[in-house]
Amino acid sequence: MDKNMKVLVVDDFSTMRRIVKNLLRDLGFTNIQEADDGSTALPMLKEGEFDFVVTDWNMPGMQGIDLLKAIRADASLSHIPVLLITAEAKKEQIVMAAQAGVNGYIVKPFTAATLKAKLDKIFERLG
Amino acid sequence: MSKDNGLHVSLEQAKMLVEYIETGQQDKADDLIAEIQNPINTELFAEIGKLTRQLHDSLNNFQVDARLSDLANADIPDAKERLNYVITRTEEAANKTMDAVESIFPVVDNIQAQIKAVNPLWDKLMNNDLDVTEFKVLCKDIGALLKTTERDTSHMHALMTDVLMAQDFQDLTGQVIRKVIELVREVEDSLINMLTVFGISSDEAKNVAKPKVGDNLVEGPIVNAKERDDVVADQDDVDDLLSSLGF
Repeated sequence: MDKNMKVLVVDDFSTMRRIVKNLLRDLGFTNIQEADDGSTALPMLKEGEFDFVVTDWNMPGMQGIDLLKAIRADASLSHIPVLLITAEAKKEQIVMAAQAGVNGYIVKPFTAATLKAKLDKIFERLG
Repeated sequence: MSKDNGLHVSLEQAKMLVEYIETGQQDKADDLIAEIQNPINTELFAEIGKLTRQLHDSLNNFQVDARLSDLANADIPDAKERLNYVITRTEEAANKTMDAVESIFPVVDNIQAQIKAVNPLWDKLMNNDLDVTEFKVLCKDIGALLKTTERDTSHMHALMTDVLMAQDFQDLTGQVIRKVIELVREVEDSLINMLTVFGISSDEAKNVAKPKVGDNLVEGPIVNAKERDDVVADQDDVDDLLSSLGF
């Protein structure tokens, strides 16, 4: 896990973006950018050479699940690992996300320890 | 008028018909013919007339309830404003708190770094392995550490107080939300009343109502997880679900 990797944090609430950014910084990640919706995130990703995406689900323009699907459908982006951090907690939704190719699913409210554990697991699996 | 509502024309009706025509009362003759052909209509019209009057009266009584108009035109827009206020206040409080916290991190990190820097010489001292020059350096470093820590902990104390004070949003937003709950209760009562006026049982509706759901089943944070069997309770449940499916 290269902590210099370029991370995109996507959430429509700026306070949540700030929290996630702080936690990532605490874990040693320094190269973090933000987007406030799936619809603003996607062009950034297409342009940007990002290595990792952390996203919310419920956003007004483009939902996180749709952003995930768009990433997986785009040959230049499909390799990027995606972590969902969301209040959406229905079992059907979790399965939906897994089938769409999400690398990790964290339900809110969450702890710093959980974030670290999931990140470690994601990058361990990617090898 | 004849009271005979049978489907066959009676002699009495036929005689009346002739009388009307002979006396030039064409309208009455036409009415009688119509009635003979459709006796049922009279009763039906009477029933419809009765229902129409009832509906008219109900609607009139309804409009008299000015609360509905107030609710729609003043109270609900007011409630939306109040809820927006809650969003604003909570966002401010969150940012104020995070500002304080972000200020504290480097201070704490700095103290930690200074202690780490002092440790090697301190250990040597404890092992009786320190020469005089090193001892003087150690004293100076510890002196600096004490001064910095004194200043920084006092600074942190002030920041912690900021964090404490930033929690005042809960009281204000709590009061505002209570008012909105009160409003929602009033709207609920009015709606139930409306259903009753039109003869619809609100009990029927309860069985059909399901949580409102958007695209991809989005629902936002679940507030009554215990009463539902379609949601996970915590992160462990999520992990169990995913691993049980081979993810």
